[in-house]
Amino acid sequence: MNFRSERPLTHLIRFTFAAAIMLSLPVGLHAQDWFKTETSSGVSNIRLAVADFKGVSATDPQTLPLKHTFDTTLYNDLSNAGIFDLISKSMLPQASPGAPAEINLAQWGGAPASAAMVAFGAFGSSGGRITVNGFLFDAKNTQFPQVLAKQYNEQASDDMARQVAHRFADEIIFRLGGGVPGIAETKIYYVKIGGGNKEIWAMDYDGANQHAITHLGTVSISPRISPDNSRIAFSSLGRDGFQIRMYSLLLNRPVSFPSAGGTNLSPAWSPNGRDIAFSSSRSGDPEIWIADSNGGSVHRVTSFRGPDVSPVFNPKTGSQIAWISGRTGLPQLYIMDTDGSGVSRMTDGGYATSPSWSPNGQFIAFAWDRKYGPGAPGGQDIYVMEVATKRWIQLTHDIGRCDFPSWSPDGRHIVFANTPGGRSSSTRIVSMLADGTGRKTLTEAGADMPNWSWK
Amino acid sequence: MAAETRWIQDEQSTGENLRGNLVGSLVLHVAIAGLIFGAAYISNRGHNWGENAATAGAIQATMVASLPLPPKQRELDNGVLTSESPSPAPVVAKEKTEPPPKPDEVAVPEKTKPVKQAPQPTPAPPKHPQPTPPQPTKAATGETAGIRIPQSTIELKNGTASAMVQDRTFGARFAYYVNIVNRTVAQNWYTQEADPRASVGKSVTVIFDINRDGTPANPRLGTGSGSPSLDQSAMRAIQRVEGFGPLPAGDRITVEYTFHYTQ
Repeated sequence: MNFRSERPLTHLIRFTFAAAIMLSLPVGLHAQDWFKTETSSGVSNIRLAVADFKGVSATDPQTLPLKHTFDTTLYNDLSNAGIFDLISKSMLPQASPGAPAEINLAQWGGAPASAAMVAFGAFGSSGGRITVNGFLFDAKNTQFPQVLAKQYNEQASDDMARQVAHRFADEIIFRLGGGVPGIAETKIYYVKIGGGNKEIWAMDYDGANQHAITHLGTVSISPRISPDNSRIAFSSLGRDGFQIRMYSLLLNRPVSFPSAGGTNLSPAWSPNGRDIAFSSSRSGDPEIWIADSNGGSVHRVTSFRGPDVSPVFNPKTGSQIAWISGRTGLPQLYIMDTDGSGVSRMTDGGYATSPSWSPNGQFIAFAWDRKYGPGAPGGQDIYVMEVATKRWIQLTHDIGRCDFPSWSPDGRHIVFANTPGGRSSSTRIVSMLADGTGRKTLTEAGADMPNWSWK
Repeated sequence: MAAETRWIQDEQSTGENLRGNLVGSLVLHVAIAGLIFGAAYISNRGHNWGENAATAGAIQATMVASLPLPPKQRELDNGVLTSESPSPAPVVAKEKTEPPPKPDEVAVPEKTKPVKQAPQPTPAPPKHPQPTPPQPTKAATGETAGIRIPQSTIELKNGTASAMVQDRTFGARFAYYVNIVNRTVAQNWYTQEADPRASVGKSVTVIFDINRDGTPANPRLGTGSGSPSLDQSAMRAIQRVEGFGPLPAGDRITVEYTFHYTQ
């Protein structure tokens, strides 16, 4: 009796279930198609586990904060590199191995960590020195797991702990990232706005250790570090207007650079460090000029009605210059050879500014307002153009005005100035991966015109 | 005389002339409008690149892949930890109380007498101390370290890529490097360059050397697939690579790379 009354109900349930499957089937198929089209290739990143280092001299009260700095910096560096899938620290085994004998690779290679590579080691400090032993192990290779072993011995300070972490991270990135050196030890030079002046400042690539370089008490803009990290060329407002000036990081003082008439702006180093291209209006119109690094043998490269500004050398060859020219109205991006021949226009419209050539010479990043004009909906965003094909992609969207992109030396990152509120006082420096993801704000408001060092 | 007659004719056909003028003006206006539209059409046909149009300034997704960053794998968005949307709350089942068992349902265990066993005679200890046999350091059976072959295979969207290093000791010692080689080449293999009709199910083997500084050199076809476009795409994949990183050991190593194209 009971059984009989249940049968129609089972039928109804079965029917509803079948109907639900039928309805959900097209949706499921569609979802699968969508995944297929979105994936460009099935290659995933290397799964890397970064263990907290083992503190070996716990008696020293300095060890713990220094070790914390080291662990955090190492994790952030590897996560910023953009070539790893970094495993969250909450997934890692509890034990922190300090030496190759102490690691149980099966534990790290298995779920939930499932690491392909493990970075671990020991961190100790005693007598004002820190000692770091770092290892990189291949978790899948039980026979010969060791990929890398490094030892560092430096002065015990927070800054040095960070530097050691940067160095170890760069070694790992160099080994696993296809031979491209990491950027954890690079610097970013920028303009600090404050008290009516603009001074040149410097910071580490991750925004730490911000400090002043110049104390000129005037307006200094567009810092450009030389390829050997020894000098900064910038444009500074003096009695004769804006002039190119030079600051030596080895001597820690300004060094002489001849000034000329007119407004001289936006210096750019050639990759061999011998020449400087800049824009100067000494002959009337702003044109591109090239001088050697001491300011001698100045010669003009462009001569055309309309302003020519913001030159930048091709860092791979040194034989081409990309710059911004207003010869056809609104400023557009052009490239030419360093002798002024072979001019080619890259952008076809809008308002393009501040180019930066990628280190491998393949791309140019620049700021572009494609819908420039009164009432136009466009905003200024960062774009990357492939030089050979003139194809471009937009990297920033809807985060306010973006300007002054600068490539990192590994070609995987771009730093730029972002003005979220539209007020120029809110300008800050932001870095991102070269495909527009992984955006990270590096400074507070009041920083502008970043320039990434060459190495 | 002639002027007189013309004037008279005009006078007579005033109404018809008005219609003629009207038609003429209409034709003229249409002609001018047509001219304007025609000129606009001729002078502004097609899109300039950079315009906000579906076909203008289009850029392939492969460009991002040719940035030195590895391409991003799309993740399944229905995992509890990865998805933005909150997962449904678990169904709270009503607590049920089990009815107490009836007294006759519980079986009373029967008593059994334990079987007595005679004590085993222990062997007498030897008079001289015996040397202890060496303890085995590894398990005789069961888990052993797997045999590593110097080959790594990566599954791609349509195809598999496998690298084999001819120097077997290198592949075992530096398996991570073989993995990096495999990964880097697979990232640079654009399967859309191969003609799918001719290449499905075929594989091509490319042999190349890696110099001490990690740059690939001398790529050559080992075994052709019979599909020229697939062979070409495989060769281009090697040529696109700028470097794999310096060799961990040795001056030069030869790699055999097999591209397998599946649908």
